Amino acid sequence: MSSSVERVRAALELREPDRVPTFDLANELLDGVILGRKPTPMGPLLQNPRIAKVADRLLPRLDNQFWLVDLTARQIPVMGAAAAVKMGYDSAWIPYLPFLRLRDSRTLVDLFGRVSDVYIDERGNIGNPIYREGLIKSPADWKAWDKGPIFRHPVKVNKVFADVQAEYGDRLYIFGFSNYGLFETAWQPMGFERFVVAVRRERDFIRRLIRFYEDLFCELLEAKADAGVPAAVYTDDLAYKSGPMLSPRLIDELFGDSYRRITETAHALGMKILMHSCGNTYSLLEWFADCGFDAVHPLEPTAGMELAKVKEMVGDRMCIIGNIDVSHILVDATKEEVFAAVRRAIREAGPGGGYILGPDHSHPRVSVERLRWMVEAAGRYGSYPLDLGEQA
Amino acid sequence: MGDYPERLTKAIADLELEEIAPLVQEGLDAGETATDLLGGMCIGMSKVGELFEEGEYYLADLVLAGEVMKEGLAVLEPHLEAGSQGQKGTVVLCTVKGDIHDIGKNLVATMLSSSGFKVVDLGVDVPESAIVEAVRTNGATGIGLSVLLTSMVDSISEVVSALNAAGLRDGVKIAIGGACTTPELAEKMGVDAIGRDAVEAVRIFEGFCS
Repeated sequence: MSSSVERVRAALELREPDRVPTFDLANELLDGVILGRKPTPMGPLLQNPRIAKVADRLLPRLDNQFWLVDLTARQIPVMGAAAAVKMGYDSAWIPYLPFLRLRDSRTLVDLFGRVSDVYIDERGNIGNPIYREGLIKSPADWKAWDKGPIFRHPVKVNKVFADVQAEYGDRLYIFGFSNYGLFETAWQPMGFERFVVAVRRERDFIRRLIRFYEDLFCELLEAKADAGVPAAVYTDDLAYKSGPMLSPRLIDELFGDSYRRITETAHALGMKILMHSCGNTYSLLEWFADCGFDAVHPLEPTAGMELAKVKEMVGDRMCIIGNIDVSHILVDATKEEVFAAVRRAIREAGPGGGYILGPDHSHPRVSVERLRWMVEAAGRYGSYPLDLGEQA
Repeated sequence: MGDYPERLTKAIADLELEEIAPLVQEGLDAGETATDLLGGMCIGMSKVGELFEEGEYYLADLVLAGEVMKEGLAVLEPHLEAGSQGQKGTVVLCTVKGDIHDIGKNLVATMLSSSGFKVVDLGVDVPESAIVEAVRTNGATGIGLSVLLTSMVDSISEVVSALNAAGLRDGVKIAIGGACTTPELAEKMGVDAIGRDAVEAVRIFEGFCS
């Protein structure tokens, strides 16, 4: 029997492992539940009206307090890896995003000029912040923006991932996530309407932003490779339910060279690199493969993504990861429905290797019990050679 | 007077961001009525919708078309008669409570306005009480609810319940849209339609009127 690391490596190299590997998608809200730990105190503290009032007065005066949120952020990759190992996953998307500071008790601002709402669930856990708007709407805003913390980001990433890899890397194949992609970091700090106009009227400014973040991403790859992490997540939501947000021609024109440099850098460092884009990405799949990505995720069923079709299109060029639905299957489906969904996914994408099974997304309503059923079903149905019998 | 309405149709359809405002001013200076010029621009937005459905244009192009429309309207609006827009009815739009994504909602607002609806855009993270009040105050016959986050879908049923409690549910049609919405969700939540995108939204609300 292979180890989890060997199993995932085989799938990424489009070989048949001993069985279909599994992939845990970061869900810091559930990790505490899985590990039986109380929520970090930050959430309840921010919800306390008296403390919130003090925070709202003090925080705007504390410039550059990324360290404050980082106290919590540093726990997330550790808990994520521990929870993934406890659940029996072979691999996991492990995030470390030490680039947020509190503007007040309800709002976060990140290194890149994006403003988000603090999200706290009913258990008091702080979850993924919800993007609201941007602060960098012009070249003048960008010039005035303090980039010092951005330049320090790779150093932090290196240290934290080195610790996580040392602790869990023999039992868990780690996909390290430490920054958002070039499209998102270009448009979100200014808003999508402003971005669309800027692409038309201020193309040089947009190109300058893209190059800056391309350089940052390559430095972050170096930081993770030095830490021993075997793979990186490149996440860039280029699409939505109906297809790409920009024309594929414009996507290649703006980001193609950068994407290719990023994957070449990853490969030169001995790393694999996963492309994550939500939405309907059929018209971009071949382009992802052309850009050099080793794997593609999440393949959302609610966006019309079908595993069999994706396998046929690019299964000989990229490993396919995800597709287990989080709108119903991993939220409130029966055990039989979860098992049926896993069986179907393995039947459609498993033959010949090159498939890693996992959720297509994560949110607070995903059920830990159903994630356990998913992992159990993968163990039952995923052994090679695949034999799914009549029930498939 | 020339063919300024037709030229504006083409400028919108071709996403001519730099040319739209001077062209509108030229048309006004040439004696064209503001209503005719607006008509030309609205036809242009319809053509943009067709190009989107044909796969020639993408979401960013719809957004850019909205920006082109805004730049033209900035010149035109002072010349428009009050009440010359919104004859097809009033639609209340928002992103539901707990959700703050607005790209899709903004596009729907642009497309509905261009198609002759009066749009009351309540913004994002909107509680059901504000929606009920907006429907009552504006005599709205349609509601569009945008929701991207799966964790916020229950906000839709809260809106339906609030409308029922206020005795307004029978007088409005509700459409939902957003990444996590499905036909099954629409049925479960007791709404009247689900839209894939802003272009389909226009057809849905026009269908509600007929």
